[in-house]
Amino acid sequence: MAMILVVEDDVFIRELAESLIQDWGHQVLSACDVPQALTHLKSSQHIDALFTDVYLKAEIHGGCDIARQAILLRPELRVLYTTANRLTDKLHALFAAGTHFLPKPYTEDQLGLSVHNLLAN
Amino acid sequence: MTVSDIAANIAASDIVETVPSALLILDRNLNISSANRAFYQTFRTSPEETEGCLIYNLGNRQWDIPALRTLLESVIPHRASVEGFEVEHDFPTIGRRTMLVNARKIFRPGDHDGFILLAIEDVSEERAARKESNRNWQLTQSIVDSIRDPLVVLEHDMTLVTASKAFLTIFGITQAEAHGRRVSELGQHQWDVPALRHLLEKVLPENKPIESFEIEDDFPGLGRRVFNLNARKVTQPGNHSHRLLLVFEDITDRKQRERDALTLTNEISHRIKNNLQVVVGLIAYEIKSTSAASVPGLKAMQARIGAIAQLYDLISHSSRGGSIAVDAYLNEIAKQLSASLIADKSSIEIRVKAEPLEIDPDRAVPFGLLVNELATNAIKHAFPNGGVGHILLGVERVGDEIELVVSDDGIGMKDKAVLAVPEKRGSDYVAIFVRQLDGTLTRSAPEGQGTTIRIRLPLLLIPAGDTEPLAA
Repeated sequence: MAMILVVEDDVFIRELAESLIQDWGHQVLSACDVPQALTHLKSSQHIDALFTDVYLKAEIHGGCDIARQAILLRPELRVLYTTANRLTDKLHALFAAGTHFLPKPYTEDQLGLSVHNLLAN
Repeated sequence: MTVSDIAANIAASDIVETVPSALLILDRNLNISSANRAFYQTFRTSPEETEGCLIYNLGNRQWDIPALRTLLESVIPHRASVEGFEVEHDFPTIGRRTMLVNARKIFRPGDHDGFILLAIEDVSEERAARKESNRNWQLTQSIVDSIRDPLVVLEHDMTLVTASKAFLTIFGITQAEAHGRRVSELGQHQWDVPALRHLLEKVLPENKPIESFEIEDDFPGLGRRVFNLNARKVTQPGNHSHRLLLVFEDITDRKQRERDALTLTNEISHRIKNNLQVVVGLIAYEIKSTSAASVPGLKAMQARIGAIAQLYDLISHSSRGGSIAVDAYLNEIAKQLSASLIADKSSIEIRVKAEPLEIDPDRAVPFGLLVNELATNAIKHAFPNGGVGHILLGVERVGDEIELVVSDDGIGMKDKAVLAVPEKRGSDYVAIFVRQLDGTLTRSAPEGQGTTIRIRLPLLLIPAGDTEPLAA
């Protein structure tokens, strides 16, 4: 089973994601902003994957910043982005290579499939 | 007979009488020895009044012109010839005239005093035309300078002929500095845009105007501005050369308003979709604790919410005040359905075939939900035995109506299992959405060859590019 870092500024949505991911047998770490996420990423804690919202209240593309720094710190880390914004070419260009995307609103089935694909690759 | 033969057989006097310039021959004392016919005609005098007369005394001393005295008394004595000496004078007999005078000293063998040949060309009309032209140019330039939008006139080689004051101001250059420069050389060469150059090069040879070419740039003292460039060929009557008029329309404020509106739309869309995520999440929590029988209905509800959510992406992307491109909308619904319902039926392919039509947002929600219900039914019931399957979502205009087609190549209606409660409710929803859209529903396709659902709707969709709905 994997350790997944969930970054989401909406408490309800974050706890829902954590709850679903735990139901599938994974472990979760959680963060609501860039500093909290970086604290986890800079720690010695083993992390397999990052599931991050792009738009984090204080920073419009905070999730992209987290993913960029996360990959520098942990090159093997798998990344799944999500956002309620439209996925434009401009936004897509901010995504790190080889990463995944799940648009909001997502159902538990869609999140399950995305997490499955993320960890399978 | 050759030109040389003709020249050998004509006298110099023939030439003198033929040339259009007025000719005068003066002796060393500036008395007129002779004049040609053009002189007499131009200055309305006769050989009797003219020959032997001191040039200054001719015609009641009307030739006593200070500039002519300067030429004859100060310039000619020191030079063999003078060309293009301009004399402007008010003649009592013929009015104000501007003359170009060429003078040459002529010496015959043994004659040391020689003669002075004056060739006088009346350029009054040419000079008047030039003055008129200058006045017109100044008037045109004044009008051009009063236009708020910067504009320039370009030569066929794309060099600047003239520029308005507004243009000179934004580029921080003088008229003299602008003249002869190319558009691509302006500023720090930031206007050297291949696409613009390509378009400009087509304006003259192909007479293909540029209606709008948007360019954004930083200008000294003005900051960042957005200009819409319009260019067209200008032709002067009687002149075969063509020039290019290039107008820079400042659309910075308009663009800013559009961007603000887009930002607001995106922000609203983001909030709505986040809220829908909360709703979908609430249903997800319900699914975790409810009975297995309730799960399909709740998941169908999540899919319906997903279909509505897709609208907001498309509305924020729309350039027509919120109208939705039907083909894009159907593609989004197909993508959503593929991701949510086909996880265990990955061999089912959903295709979209739609004419370029747009739909207003008020009708987009029932339309999208209708497509979602029909496609969901097809996914769930048309392929119970697995295998490769196809579902087509189609929209086409048929006369004054729109036909929505949702078809599959599955088992057909007769062999489908009896609908469970959630699916029955789905069919109820179909009926409700069809009524909401004032449509009529028909099912077709022979047994065993899949199902085709056709829904005729009033023309509540707008052909892409029109500004008003064709019918309500």
